[in-house]
This record gives sequence, C-alpha cells and structure tokens, in this order.
Amino acid sequence: MHIAVCVKQVPDTTEVKINPETGTLIRTGVPSIINPYDHFALQTAMGLKKLHGCRVTVISMGPPQARSVVQMGMALGADDGVLLSDMAFAGSDTWATSYALAKAVKKLGKVDLILAGMQAIDGDTAQTGPGMAQQLGIPQVSFCEKIDLDGRKLIARRLIDGGYEIVEVKVPALFTMIMPRDYVPVYPAFLETHASLKKPYYVWSAADIGAEPRYLGLKGSPTQVARIYPPQQREKAAMTGGSAQEAAEKILEIMRKEHFIAE
Amino acid sequence: MPSMDAISRNLMLDSLKAYARKNISNDFIREKDQANEFPAKILKDMYDHSILGVHLLMIPEEYGGVSGGTYDIYRICEVLAHIDLGIATSVFATFLGTDPLNVGGTVDQKKKWLERIAKENLMVAYAATEADAGSDLLNLRTRAEHVLKNGQLAGYRLTGNKQWISNGGVADLYTVLAMAPGGPCWFLVEKEMEGFSPNKHEDKHGIRLSNTAGLSLDNVFVPKENLIGEVEGQGLVQAQAVFGYTRLMVAAFGLGAGWEAVEQAVRYSQQRIQAGGPLSDKQGYTHKLIVPHAVELEAARAYIEETAYRLDGGEHGLQTEGAIAKYSASESGNRAAEDAIQALGGYGYTHDFPVEKIKRDVKITCIYEGTSEVLEMTIYRGRWQEHLKTRGRYYADIADKMDCLHAANPDVGAGAAALALRALAAVMEECRLAKLTRHQAVTFKLGGLISLAELAYVFAQAAAKDKYSESVRFDVQAWRAMARVYARGAALRIAAEGLALVTGAADGAGGLAAAVDMDAVQAAQKGMMADMDLVAAKLKQTFKAK
Repeated sequence: MHIAVCVKQVPDTTEVKINPETGTLIRTGVPSIINPYDHFALQTAMGLKKLHGCRVTVISMGPPQARSVVQMGMALGADDGVLLSDMAFAGSDTWATSYALAKAVKKLGKVDLILAGMQAIDGDTAQTGPGMAQQLGIPQVSFCEKIDLDGRKLIARRLIDGGYEIVEVKVPALFTMIMPRDYVPVYPAFLETHASLKKPYYVWSAADIGAEPRYLGLKGSPTQVARIYPPQQREKAAMTGGSAQEAAEKILEIMRKEHFIAE
Repeated sequence: MPSMDAISRNLMLDSLKAYARKNISNDFIREKDQANEFPAKILKDMYDHSILGVHLLMIPEEYGGVSGGTYDIYRICEVLAHIDLGIATSVFATFLGTDPLNVGGTVDQKKKWLERIAKENLMVAYAATEADAGSDLLNLRTRAEHVLKNGQLAGYRLTGNKQWISNGGVADLYTVLAMAPGGPCWFLVEKEMEGFSPNKHEDKHGIRLSNTAGLSLDNVFVPKENLIGEVEGQGLVQAQAVFGYTRLMVAAFGLGAGWEAVEQAVRYSQQRIQAGGPLSDKQGYTHKLIVPHAVELEAARAYIEETAYRLDGGEHGLQTEGAIAKYSASESGNRAAEDAIQALGGYGYTHDFPVEKIKRDVKITCIYEGTSEVLEMTIYRGRWQEHLKTRGRYYADIADKMDCLHAANPDVGAGAAALALRALAAVMEECRLAKLTRHQAVTFKLGGLISLAELAYVFAQAAAKDKYSESVRFDVQAWRAMARVYARGAALRIAAEGLALVTGAADGAGGLAAAVDMDAVQAAQKGMMADMDLVAAKLKQTFKAK
C-alpha cells in the first residue's frame, strides 16, 4: 500500500497580525508551521504504516522554504518527500493547486491512498483535497477523524452534523482529515529530524509532472482574490438577566427600540 | 562543527517548543520553583533520544549525535532560556560536561563515551569548581594519585570535594577536574563508583529547577582509561579551549531570559490602563523600562551570532569575543528582568507573575562560566594587547570601516559606532600614556567600555545586511532603529564615562576631551526620540497582548 500525504506550509495564524490601515497581513517574524490538519493526516498515515507496513510519501507545493514541512513529514516517518516548486505554480487557487498535486500523485505511480488535511488554516477553503479526488477521478471521503485498513478496503469514521458515520471505500481513494478532540500532535525527536536529511527528497517543476501551464498559476485559476480584509468587529451582545419571562420582555423591548419589530 | 541546515535546526526548535507547550506550564514551573525541586521527568524526556534528545546536539554524527554547530546550540539555548533557566542549566551542564571529551578525548574515548551518552541518554555534570577554586582553577585541591599494579599505572585515586556542580546530584556521568602528579586533568567518573557521593541539593536564589550539589570524592578509583586524553596536565588547556564557545551558550541564556521578561512586560503594558490609556503608549514607561532593554538584547544577539558564525566557520578560541558576548547578554538580560518587575508594578513583585522568577534566575548568568568582573578583566586583557600591538590603531581601523559603512548605509548607526570606537581608542591611548592600567578598576571599566563599542559596530554591520538571520523577529526598519539607538548610547557612554575615568585616575586628562569629540557625540544623538518611539511601536506590534 502506497500512501501519499499532502501537506501545506502555513503562517501560524495565531501570530498573524493585520495592518489596520492597509488591511494587509503583517508576515514579518510570523513563524511558518505545518497546517495542523495536515499534521494529523501525517500521523494517521504513520499509524497505518506502523500497523500495515505501508510506504508513505509526503507531497507539498510551495516556495523552496516549504521543504520544511516535507522534511518534517519524513522526520515523522514518511519514506520520501516531494516538493512542487516552480514559479509556474505561483498564484494558483485551490483548483489549479489540486491539478498540480494530482499530476504529482500520478507521477508517483500506483498510489492507493491519499490523505490531506480538511482545510488549511490560512485560507479555510477545504477545496484542494476534494479537487484532487475530482482531478484523479477517485472517490473521496471528507472530514474523517479515523481510518482503518482492512485488506484493500478502507473504513473511515467521518464527522457529520450532530454525529458521525462509518464509510467503507475501496482503494484508491482520497480522505481529508479533521482533528479529533483528543488528538495530540507528535513532533519528531532530534535524531529523527537529522536522519530525515538522508531520505529521498525531490523537487519537481511543472515540466517534471507534465502539467500544462494553462492550468497553473493565475491563468489556471477560476477564482481570484480581490481583497483581503479583517472581519468587521461585531458589536458586543447585550445580556439580559432575570427570569425567562423578564428576559423575553426585555428582548422585545430592545427589538422594538431597534425597529426590528413594529412598536 | 559547522552549523546544520536551517530547516533541520528549526524543526528541532519546533519540537522543543511543542514539548514545552505541552509539558511545562507556568504553574508547573512555579510549583517546582517554590518546592526547589528538580523536574526529573522533564529532563529525562529531554534527554530521551526517542522523545527529544537535546543532548545529541553536542555529539558528532559518527557517535550517534546530530552534530550541532555553535549557531545551532545558541538557538537551542535561547529557546531553553525562554522556557526555564533552571531546565536550561541542566541541559547546559551536559553540554559542558561533554566538552572535555570532545576537545581532549582520544578517538577510542570519544567512541566509547560519546556513544554511551547518546544512546543511553546519559546526563552529565562538569565538576571543576571547588570551595577555593572558582575562577582561579589553579587553586585546585582535588588530588588524583597514581595506582600501580605490578609496577604499571592502573588508574587513579581521586580525593577531594567539588562545589556548586550543576546536575551534581542527578547526573549519570561526571567529568571531574583533579590535580594528578603531571598536572590538572579531567577524569570520567560514573555515579556508581565507590567512594563517590553527591551532597545535598543547594537552596538557591534562582534556577531552582536546576539541581546543584557538591560532590565528595573519597579515594575513588578511576581506571587510567578514564583520564581524558590519556596524558596528564592537559586539563586547564582543555577547559580554556572551549570558553569562547561555552560562554556563548550562557550569553544565549541571558538573551533568552531577558527577552522573555521584556516580552511579558510588553504584553502586560498593552492591557494595563492608567490615566486613560495603556502603559504601552506612555513614553515615560516604554522609553525607560522596555525599549532600552530590547535594544541592548538585540545588540547582544548580533554579537552572539557574529561570534557563532566565526566559530562555525572554523576560527578557534575567540575567548575575548565569547567573554564580550556573555558579559553583554547576561548583564542586559539581568537589567531587563529587573525593569520587567518594575514594568508590572505590584503584579511583578508577586510569585503569580513570572518576571520575578526570571529575575532571580537570570542573575546566575552574570555569575557562572566567569563572573561579569572576571569577564571585564578578560575582555580588557585581550583587547589591550591588540591596542598595544597596533599602536592604538585597533579600534581606529574599525572606526574607519564604520565610516565607509555609514557612507553606504546612513541609517544603521555606523556613524555613531565610529564615534564610539574612536572615543574608545582615545581613552585607551590616554590610559597607556598616563599608565592608568595600574589601577585594576580602570582595567575592568575598560572591559565594559570595549564591550559597548564592539556591540555597537557589530550591530550596525548586522543591521546593514539585506537579509537578517532567522532569529530576528523585527523588520529592517525596526532593527536599524535599534542599531542606531544602541550606537548613540554606546558613543555617549564611552565618551562621558571614559573621560570621567581618565580624569578621575590621572593627574590631568591631557587632550582627551578633544579626542573623544564630545560635540560630535552629542550631535549624533539627533533622532533618538523618534527612534525610541518607533521601537516602542514595533515592540507592541510584535508582542501583542494575549
């Protein structure tokens, strides 16, 4: 079984500040981290590898410094790593990104299982994983918190509104992972990081994966970012106290005052 | 060893930070600090090569380590100091204890012991200090007597007492300095050896999470293979060979602990509203209690990094540079923590807020690995020789370089750094002419002024670079403003204090007043307030209130 895990390097959004005047992100001094959902996807792959002896390949797309997340994947136990890095990829939206990633997976040969985080914490789109499945023409199961392997069949526990469902899928398939509540991220020991430098690591360009330039970058992106701005701060909620009856009367009074309902 | 690649280093730093986030809370540290307790489980994890393996940084790859360079170790030490200086000290003790082996061990000894330290996660202690032998190791009383078997040397019997040994009560392996018939030597002593026993854990002012104990050696038999280097009399040379390097680690401790205190103060100052606005917006507060320390610490960072690059590049020794780095960073860290208590007011004075603990902790960096006063002397000695050898051109030449830098980059403080360097050269020359170095106080003071001038020019050089190192958390605008603030302050202090020093010690001050060019130094202060305002604003932006 060959597992490909897609990871993304993202700014630590807990540290990102927004310039209130220009509305742009202040990236100076903000650390880059592995997208936390992808981190869990990696750990899921390592769990499967431990139980079933799978081969695991980490894939990322980004500038040369994104090597960091690929190497982290290898330090956590992946067998090899690939970074898609090329100016041709710059400006790709989720669809163009999923096209490139799908091309890379094809180049890897027979990949049975693709794991990715549910979404990246910088964009929160949750589209790249499903986009890849579409490009590859394979089934996808999104929002999973657990995956078991039974022969050639995968059994996933998938979160849905108000509960979960168990889904069985035959390989090849793509799964996007959420983070379970009790999840504890594992970080590599120093020796594992050091050893990961000796694992096979490849940097592939658009030409390497046979991607057509028209499907990449801004040109290949059906969506484009018009503007980034911080969400408007909402007004503070007014709290009403007292019994249910008193609270209801108070709310009605406010609604009348604010002209939500007629006097 | 050259430093490792940035990605590997940063992954290791991330692993360390993640471990600390998960396992070392503020409450945990406060509890252990109050109980004066060594956090054995935490250190066991840190040394466990399957969990973290921090000790592997000091061990070359061929012996099972990760071959960390000076820059890597500086970065790890800074992060450790942010976490807790007691825990950092425990890791440092292993680094230090491993050093005599790295420097003086034979190939067989390295293979045997470094591999064991790596694989068995051994905690090491460095046992040099005695009651009468601190900075003055020649006063060593612990004896190593020959033990003969069939007329051949079989080993040594060690007898004596060691004092204030970090990891003293908890280490698995000790490198012990003792006087053999052929001179001082380092011996490897294992904790189970008969006649060896640690004393009680000391009740210290700070770094209370670090185990510190005396050691008793009562006729401890040590096989001759445990004499590091297998040649007697090399001990002090082996100890001194690494001072440039080990002092850089303590410098990183001063830097990390100092910055932790400043960050706490900056975050607090944005929440504390007084007289209609946050303290962070009040110059009387920021420009006294926060900005000067941020500036000093970043100047120390620039100097530490420069020294680390040089050591990783293959230069040896750099004892004077190591001394300047440690002296500046530890004194700055100590001052920063002191003012962080003030910045937090009543809260800062309680155990509930971490700054008072940082203050107690960071003081040790001004004491161990060479007290600040010993370092002032070391710095003076090293640079006085240069001053004499170059007939007073040593700093004048660097000042000329700073003029060139200023012409190309007028916004990095190089002009003020040149003034600082020329004032220093003039003060040193006046001291020579008037034979003032016969006063010990003059020599120590010169050590301090030398540090100011060197940091000023190294900071200006670093700030002029196109790209800053990974550790700098400020943008070009902020870091350059900091370099300017530092250089102006250095020029002013060297000129004023140098002049006062000479005037106070000599019969007359000759033409020194003209030579230090006080008018130019005063003129260079222009723009100081705007720069301080800018740094205060950038600090607020970088360390937001939580």
